[in-house]
Amino acid sequence: MKKEKTIYEDLAPLHAKAQKTFFAVGIVFIVLLFSLWKIQVLDHKKYWRQSEANRIREIILSPQRGLIKDRNGKILATNIASFQVSIIRENCRDIEESLRKISRLLDLELVVLRERIDKYKFLPEFQPIVIKDDMKLDEVSRVKARQAEFPELIIRAEPKREYPFETLAAHVIGYLQEISPEEISQSQGERRSGDLVGKTGIERQYENMLVGREGRVLEIADSLGRRMGEISREESMPGQDISLTLDFGLQSKAEELLEGREGAVVVLNPKTGEILALASFPTFDPNKFISRFSPEEWQNLLQDPEFPLENRAIRGLYAPGSIFKLTIATGALDSQIINQWNSYYCSGSTRIYGHPFSCWFKGGHGSMNLTNGIKNSCNIYFYQVGKSMGIEEIARYARILGLGARTGIDLPGEKEGLVPDSDWKKRVRNEPWYPGETISVAIGQGPLQVTPLQIAVQTALIANRGNRVFPFLLMDNESDRTEAAKVEIRESVFDTIITGMWKSVNEEGTGRASKIQGFDVCGKTGSTQVVSTATAEKLGTKEKIVKTHSWFTGFAPRVDPEIVVTVLVEYGGMGGATAAPVARELFSLYKENDDR
Amino acid sequence: MMIDRNQLRNIDWILIGLLIINSVIGLAFIHSSSHYLPGNHALKQLVWLFVALFALFLFLSMNYRILMTYSLYFYGVAVFVLAGVLLFGRLTAGTKSWIVLPFFQIQPSEITKIAVILVLAHLFSEYRRDSLSIGHGVLGFLIVGVPVLLVGLQPDLGTALTYIPILLAIFFMVGLRRKTVIILLVLALLSGILGWNVMLKDYQKDRITTLLSPNKDPLGSGYQTIQSKIAIGSGGFLGKGYKKGTQSQLRFLPARHTDFIFSVIGEESGFIGAIVTFLFYFLFLVRLFQSVTKSRDRAGVLIIYMVGGMIAFQFFVNVFMTLGLFPIAGITLPLISYGGSSLLTNFLAVSLVINVRMRRFVNV
Repeated sequence: MKKEKTIYEDLAPLHAKAQKTFFAVGIVFIVLLFSLWKIQVLDHKKYWRQSEANRIREIILSPQRGLIKDRNGKILATNIASFQVSIIRENCRDIEESLRKISRLLDLELVVLRERIDKYKFLPEFQPIVIKDDMKLDEVSRVKARQAEFPELIIRAEPKREYPFETLAAHVIGYLQEISPEEISQSQGERRSGDLVGKTGIERQYENMLVGREGRVLEIADSLGRRMGEISREESMPGQDISLTLDFGLQSKAEELLEGREGAVVVLNPKTGEILALASFPTFDPNKFISRFSPEEWQNLLQDPEFPLENRAIRGLYAPGSIFKLTIATGALDSQIINQWNSYYCSGSTRIYGHPFSCWFKGGHGSMNLTNGIKNSCNIYFYQVGKSMGIEEIARYARILGLGARTGIDLPGEKEGLVPDSDWKKRVRNEPWYPGETISVAIGQGPLQVTPLQIAVQTALIANRGNRVFPFLLMDNESDRTEAAKVEIRESVFDTIITGMWKSVNEEGTGRASKIQGFDVCGKTGSTQVVSTATAEKLGTKEKIVKTHSWFTGFAPRVDPEIVVTVLVEYGGMGGATAAPVARELFSLYKENDDR
Repeated sequence: MMIDRNQLRNIDWILIGLLIINSVIGLAFIHSSSHYLPGNHALKQLVWLFVALFALFLFLSMNYRILMTYSLYFYGVAVFVLAGVLLFGRLTAGTKSWIVLPFFQIQPSEITKIAVILVLAHLFSEYRRDSLSIGHGVLGFLIVGVPVLLVGLQPDLGTALTYIPILLAIFFMVGLRRKTVIILLVLALLSGILGWNVMLKDYQKDRITTLLSPNKDPLGSGYQTIQSKIAIGSGGFLGKGYKKGTQSQLRFLPARHTDFIFSVIGEESGFIGAIVTFLFYFLFLVRLFQSVTKSRDRAGVLIIYMVGGMIAFQFFVNVFMTLGLFPIAGITLPLISYGGSSLLTNFLAVSLVINVRMRRFVNV
C-alpha cells in the first residue's frame, strides 16, 4: 500500500511550480533576445568601428629627404638611420601613471615629458606624439623588450638629417626643426606632429622637392600590439636630390677666412648668376637642431648677441660706403654729367653748402679724374659728382643697378635694403630732402642700406658691361630662372668704371691688397663708419662707439669675367686692409682650380 | 541494475540529441577560438564529450533511487576530496581547483554538484509538509554551504556561485513561508556584506563596480566587458564568419574558449548564429523541464528541477555577463564552453533527468 501511495502521489503542485519557473525562463530568453538585438543590430555600427580601430594600425613610413649636394656632387646634407619613440595616449590606462613609468624607462624628466604632451594635447588621442628621438640602440631594445607592458609606446625608424660638414654653408642649407602646431593646421592634413620641416635656407626654400612622400602601412595588430598581417602598403617616395651651385672649395675657404670675425662673403659667376659661395659668420651647426629636444642650445643661439643664425649675406643691412662710388660713377657717366676726362681737385677737404667735408686722405689726392677717383676712392671727387647729380638721379641709377630691391635669390628671408630719395624722406620722416644729405649719400653713407649679395650682383652687372644677372643656388632649374637682361646704360660707361677698378687693384690703389699675378682683378674697397649701440652694449660701455665696416667687391678677369667676390667684415677697419686680402685668397683659389 | 528493454525504449533520445547538438556547437567555437593556441583544445573537448556520453549511459544503468540512497557516501567523498584539494592541491592559474592526473586534470568542484543534487533530493524526497521547516532549511543550507565554502576558498568564486541555484531550486519546490523568505533574504544580505568585506578580493570587487561603469577603466577590469560587447556588437546581423572574428582571432577578447565563448559565437556568426544557439538551448531546457511531468515520484521532480535550475542559471549569468549586464564572475556557458569536468558534470546531471524519466513506470 505504501508503494501505491508513492507511485500515485499527487505531484501536481510541484508541476505547477516547475511550470512557473519555466515561464520565467522563457521571459528571460525574451529579454536576452532584445539585449542581443540592441547590441548586434541597433548598435552594430558603433561596435564595428571599435573593433576595426582595435585591430587596424597605421604605420607611417618616413620618406628619405632629398640629398643636398654642391656643384661637383659633394654631399652637404644626407640622412642616417635613427629611431624615435612615440606615445599613443589612447592606449594608456592612466596617462599620469604611464608618464611616470615612461620617464623612468626612457630616463626623461617627468616635467619635460608632460610639457611635451601638453603641447600636442589638441591632437586626437590616437595620434602618436614623439617623446624621444635620436635614440640609442640599447634604449630601443629596452622599449622593445617591454612592449607588452607599454602598449602605448611605438617605435619608428626614421631617417635623420645629417650635415656631414657641420657648420659648412649652414646659412645656405638651413636647418630642420619640428613642425609647429600652426604649420600642422596650415598643411591640411599633409603633415603631422613630430614631422621635421625646413625652417630656413634651402631646406625651407625647396621643402616640397626635398620632402618626398610619406608611405603608409595599414597592418593588423593583436591585443598585445603584435603584428599579425598587413592590409595595405604604400611605399614612401624619397625626396628629390638637389644640386647647388655652391663650390665646396670656395665655400670652405670663404668660411675659413671669416673665422673669428663677423661678416659675409658672396662669390658668384657673373655670366650666369650661379652662387659659388655664400658665407656668413659667425655660424652654427644645423645638426644640433634636428633633435626635437634641444631647447637649451636653441635658446643660446637665439640670444647670442652676435646673431649667428642671421644670414648676413642676404639679411645683413649695411651702408655701402665707398663701394657706392661705383654706382655714382656709372650714373654720372651715363647721364653725361661728367665724362671720363672731367676732373676735380682734392685738397683733402672742401666746403659744400657751407659745411666742411673732408677726404679720407687728409693730404689730398690732387687733381682727380673718374678712373683715379675710383682708384683712390677720393671722397672730394665723388662729393662733387654727387652734388651735380642730385638725389633723384642717384636713386634712379642705384635702382637700375639693383639696389633697394631683392635680388631674387632662391633663399627665404632676403632683405631689400634702402635707396633713399625725397619721396622716401617725405613718407618716412615727413621732411623735405636737404641737398647736404646728398653729399653723404654720394660716398655711400646716410640712410643707404645694402646687403652684401646686392653689392655682388651690382658688381656682376658692371663686370658684364650692363648685363644684369639674377643670382641662384639651385642648379638645373631652368624654368624658374630669370634670364640675364641688358640694362639701358651704354657699354662704354662700364669700360671706364672697370678701368678705375682695375687701377684700384693693380696700380697701387685702395684695392691693391687683392692683386694677383696673372689674373686681372678689378675691385673697389669700402670702409663705412658705423655708430653701433649694439656693439657698445656688447663691449659693456654706455658710449656709442664709432667703428668701421670693411668692404671689398671685385671681379676677375677684366676681360670676359668669370668670378665676382664680395666681402664684408663688420668692424673690420679699412676695406683695403681687411676685406681686400680675403677677396684675394678667394680669387687666387678660383684661379688655381681653374688652371688645373 | 541492468536496463531492461522497456526502459531502453523510454530513454529520452531527443534530450540526448539536444545535449549533443549544444556540445557540438561548443566544439565548433572552441576550435575557432583556440586553434592558434598550443594544445588542441577542440580535440581534448571531443574526447571529453565521448567520455561524458559514456558516463551518461553508465549512469543510466543505475536507478536514481539507488544512487540517492548512496548519495551521502558520494557527498562525503566529494567534500573530503574538496578539502584535500584545498590542503594538498597545486596552484594552477592562481587557484587550487584541480586534481592533476596524467593526461588530464579534473575539477572536483564541478562533479560535487551531482552529489549535492542527489543528497538534497534524498533529504527532501519524503518531506511532505507544504513549507520548509527550520530544521530542514538549516540542513539544506549546510549541505550546500560546505562545498561552497571549500570551493570559495580555492578561490573559485564563479563555480561556488553555481551551487546557489541548486539550493534555491529545492527551497522553492518545497515551499517557503513569507517568514522564511525574509530570514533567507537577511541571511543573504549578511553573507553578502560579510563576503564583500572578507571573502572578495579587490579584483572581484572591481568587477562588480565596473559593471556600473565599464568605460571608467577601459584597460582594467572594464576591459573584458568592453571587448566582449565590441565582439558581439561588431558581429552584427550575419557575423564576421567562422574563424574570422577579429576580436577573437586577434585576442582582444579574454577567455575566448571558456567564459567568453558566447562573445565568439556572437562575433563570428552574428545575430542569426546567436539566435540559433539560443534556440537549441531553449529547446534543450524545454525538454529538460518537461521531464518534470514524466517523473513518478517527488525525488525525481526535485532532481529534474535542480538540474534545470542549475543549467539555466549558469546559461543566463554567462550570457548576461558577455553582454555586459552582469559582473564578470568566471561562470562558463554549460555544454558550450571549454572544460571537461564541467561537460562531464552537466552530462551526468542530464543523465539523472533521463534516468528519472525512463524509470517512471517501474516499481522498485
